[in-house]
Amino acid sequence: MATVFSQYAWLVPAFPLAAFAILTAFGRGWSRAGAWIATLASLASFALSLIIAIERIVSNAEDYVGGFDWLRAGAVNLTAGYEVTNLTALMLVVVTLVAFLVNLYSLGYMGEDERMTVFFSYVALFTSSMLGLVLADNLMILYVCWELVGVCSFLLIGFWYRKPEARAAAKKAFIVTRVGDLGLLIAILLLFWYMPDHALDFASLHNVFHTQSGIISTSITTLIALLIFVGAVGKSGQFPLHVWLPDAMEGPTPISALIHAATMVAAGVFLVVRTFDIFQASQAALDTVAIVGAFTALFAATIGLAQNDIKRVLAYSTVSQLGYMMLALGVGSTTAAMFHLFTHAFFKALLFLGAGSVIHAIHTQDIREMGGLGSRMKATAWTFGIGVLALSGIPPLSGFWSKDAILSAALEKSPWLFAVGVLTAFFTALYMARLFFLVFTGKARGDAATYARAKDAPWTMTIPLIVLAALAVVSGFVQTPMSGWLGSWLWSGEAKEHAEGVAIVASVAASLLGIYLGWLIYAKGTIRRDAVSSRLPWLVKLLERKYYIDELYELLFVRSLRGLGKALAVFDDVVVDGAVKLAGGAVAGLGRLNTRLQNGQVQTYGLVAVIATVVLVLAIAGRRFW
Amino acid sequence: MEALQTLAWSDAWYLAPELALAAATLLLAVVDLLLPGRVNRDVIGWGALAGLLVAGVFVGWHLHDLQAAADAGEQPVRNVLGGSYRVDDFGNLLKLVFLGASALILLASLGTVRREDVPIKGEFYYLFLPAVIGAMVMASSGDMITLFIGMELLGITSYVLVGVRKRSGQSGEAAFKYVVTGGTASAFVLYGMSFLYGVTGTTNLTLISQALGTALTEYRALVYVAFFLMIVGFALKLALAPFHAWAPDVYQGAPTPVTAFLAVVAKGAAFAMVYRIFLNTAFFAYADNTEVREDLFLALAVLAAAAMIVGVAGAMKQQNAKRLLALSGVANAGILLVPLTLDVTNLHSSMFSEFIYYLLAYLFMNVGAFAVLTVVSRSSGHEELSAFAGLYHRAPWTAGAMTVLLCSLAGLPVTGGFFGKLFILFGTVQTRSYWLAAILLVTTVVSYYVYFSFIRQMYMRSGETEPPATVPVPSGIVIWLCAAASVALGILPKPILDWINDIFSLSADFLTR
Repeated sequence: MATVFSQYAWLVPAFPLAAFAILTAFGRGWSRAGAWIATLASLASFALSLIIAIERIVSNAEDYVGGFDWLRAGAVNLTAGYEVTNLTALMLVVVTLVAFLVNLYSLGYMGEDERMTVFFSYVALFTSSMLGLVLADNLMILYVCWELVGVCSFLLIGFWYRKPEARAAAKKAFIVTRVGDLGLLIAILLLFWYMPDHALDFASLHNVFHTQSGIISTSITTLIALLIFVGAVGKSGQFPLHVWLPDAMEGPTPISALIHAATMVAAGVFLVVRTFDIFQASQAALDTVAIVGAFTALFAATIGLAQNDIKRVLAYSTVSQLGYMMLALGVGSTTAAMFHLFTHAFFKALLFLGAGSVIHAIHTQDIREMGGLGSRMKATAWTFGIGVLALSGIPPLSGFWSKDAILSAALEKSPWLFAVGVLTAFFTALYMARLFFLVFTGKARGDAATYARAKDAPWTMTIPLIVLAALAVVSGFVQTPMSGWLGSWLWSGEAKEHAEGVAIVASVAASLLGIYLGWLIYAKGTIRRDAVSSRLPWLVKLLERKYYIDELYELLFVRSLRGLGKALAVFDDVVVDGAVKLAGGAVAGLGRLNTRLQNGQVQTYGLVAVIATVVLVLAIAGRRFW
Repeated sequence: MEALQTLAWSDAWYLAPELALAAATLLLAVVDLLLPGRVNRDVIGWGALAGLLVAGVFVGWHLHDLQAAADAGEQPVRNVLGGSYRVDDFGNLLKLVFLGASALILLASLGTVRREDVPIKGEFYYLFLPAVIGAMVMASSGDMITLFIGMELLGITSYVLVGVRKRSGQSGEAAFKYVVTGGTASAFVLYGMSFLYGVTGTTNLTLISQALGTALTEYRALVYVAFFLMIVGFALKLALAPFHAWAPDVYQGAPTPVTAFLAVVAKGAAFAMVYRIFLNTAFFAYADNTEVREDLFLALAVLAAAAMIVGVAGAMKQQNAKRLLALSGVANAGILLVPLTLDVTNLHSSMFSEFIYYLLAYLFMNVGAFAVLTVVSRSSGHEELSAFAGLYHRAPWTAGAMTVLLCSLAGLPVTGGFFGKLFILFGTVQTRSYWLAAILLVTTVVSYYVYFSFIRQMYMRSGETEPPATVPVPSGIVIWLCAAASVALGILPKPILDWINDIFSLSADFLTR
């Protein structure tokens, strides 16, 4: 069926872009009015995305491609276009919904900040670029938006630029993701080189890699797929490029919810889904994705056990959950990956916003100084609890269904991957239980006066929590072992639903065990908290220091690069600067000569003209008569 | 050669744009005489603007007629007055450029020209019209005599316009220098033309190209002399290095709107002449005798290269904004000449599109920049670069527009200047003129330094001592139109290029007759 609303999909990123432009141009000194403009723009985007999605669900509309030729040079044609498929429609809804709720939440959270308008304009630009990334119909446009998203992330992490940690974190995020971006760029260049007609749009990619595979040799395909995956690893914080994500928590908390939980980090997963035809053409690439994903999931979950900063625990949990998504992709289930992306967006945004409420109330991020907040902040505690249960995968909350889909898919491929998945589920439940019980139950360990003043946040902050909590409960029902609606809608009928009874039992058991253990240690106290740290202090230290990865990178890359940088600086000073000075001197000399001839005397000008004429004639025509 | 034809009524239609401008000039001159002295002469300015728009409508009409003729399979060319005047797509497109640029310049000068500066404001406004007629005649002529008359009409009117601030010594000096240089240029061109007439026996460009074959075998040296003299004359008119020394002096002395006119319309008209003569006569005349042709185009290429280098190098040290823009104009003239110097090959036949695209970009960035300069110098009372100090704080919107225009001048994406240079660069690479490509690239990079001296002033100097700059509405409109057009040319290069390609065809306008 033809579509009515999909053709207006370009408006979805246009609203926040307009808000960004308005705020940048006029916003100085507007404060709340500007923030409301940005919020309303994101609401408009959300409404339109919802209409588009509903239309596509109801009428099963066909895909829509729009855009225009941007530049044609010889045989190369660059288009600026957008494509609306069921996949992109789903992403539009997720991104705009979370963006709208985060905007609303920030009205309260950032209300005191003097650079509030700047904050909202950055958020608007980020939303717009992320939506552009989702809608892009070719890799060129996608890459442009990909970089824009990176820039916005840099700006927002470093938003409180007076804090040195924020500055360092922003720099780290930018540089580390740059490594990934470079991989993606090389992949795009390779595709440009090898693709027939240099086509970079996804329809052509599908044709070449899926329908008529074999045009491009397997080794090149593997190389391209791995390079794309490097890009995804950077953006989605997978091992070994995960180091930037926890540090990115230096940014304002709503940003952590928007960028570092729900949307931007999902861009890597989305990229792999979008180019999945390439991955499917190479088993080696798929295996790499699965192994990296599974390893990251377990690795980050263990680090999460030993962190004491509320946002860092959540950050490592994000890394771990993204690992799950990559694992799903690696075992070939795009449905499970997208499903988990969908549910994770809601409950992780919920957890971050809840953490934001806590921080807002008691002004610390250290969970050792919290405790007993449940009675003072009821709304936050309840919604946060729902988020914890959803993330831990307790039925029938959304996280259970999506995690189960992934584990079932993994079990089909390999028992090892499945085992890692279940172990991760156990650790996930354990660190989430630890977080919840330490923050909301027990006695207050921090400053008593602050504790007495702690209360739930204003309505702009609690409404998003409640909406997200509701979604965290119900969003799992779009795809259950009983009905594979999401999968069949996303891929137009390719529904093969499989749920392994073993998987369900194992994952629920692991989650319940994790929570129970957490309750025993951190709430009831039957097991002493230092039971592990007193016996195996080195293990706790190892986890607390995040396996010393940062220190290793410092030693391996930062120091050696700094050394290389010093050597290059010498080269730069002597050789390059010398050349530049020489060139500059030559130009300046020419300029001086010019000024000397430019003495204001027309006679001189005439004389120069005559001499130049003679020289020109003799040099060019004269040689023919010699 | 046909006997000289008198003007028939049927031909009058083809001359409608020129005739409309001439009528407007006469009318405005009479009105200016009759109006009492106390009436604001801006009325004349609006009248002149209306005249330009009417002429523009006629040109558009012709363009449309020719397009219809081309669709019907006819040659899209109309010969008038025994072939001495041609109405074709090349001419029409350039006429639109001239008319549009003049209209923008007039609009920007309305309300910024002060009576103390220009005592004869009425003349100042309506004298633009005969100058535009001259430019249009140059773009449309098929005969050396018409060409020369157009050049003189444009030249003499602009001498007057340069000296229109008659109480200012600087303006008088500039006018005098312009007269002397312009006279020298005319002399060179005329001398060259007379040699060409001597060896071919005709002044008609079509006939010249037919007769050149024999002339080349019999009087090779004289053909060289004829063309080299003309090249020097043109180089003087176009201010190509090293024939450019007059340009900064004259640009500085002239009222700023006139400077913009010289930089865009007078220069564009000179280019029209160069393209007419060289494409008609030298380019395709003799495929079997390529030696002379190669030499001529080498000479042009050398001049283009020299202009790019000297223009940019000279602009680096300038502290006066107008002299700086004059030297940037020298460099840009070099860039605009590059497409002509490239050999026509199978790969490369798009020199006109490259030329007109960059000319369009050049039009908007220069008219806009000069309009900003007018506003800025009005508020600070001088035209040094320091007049721009802290403009961002005094008039943020104007500073923003100027930044866009400067990006276009520097050739940064995404602006018209970027794509204009890019297309020309593609042309040089396709014809393997790598040395020209290298010079184009290097001078562009160096020019960033030049244009960023404006940005440095606008954003990084505090302008607290300066009063806030007020922008008259017409100037504001022009500045923003130009900035918007510069961006539009950068965002939508393809539709515009397609449109030019669609209209213009090398073969119809220059090859067959």
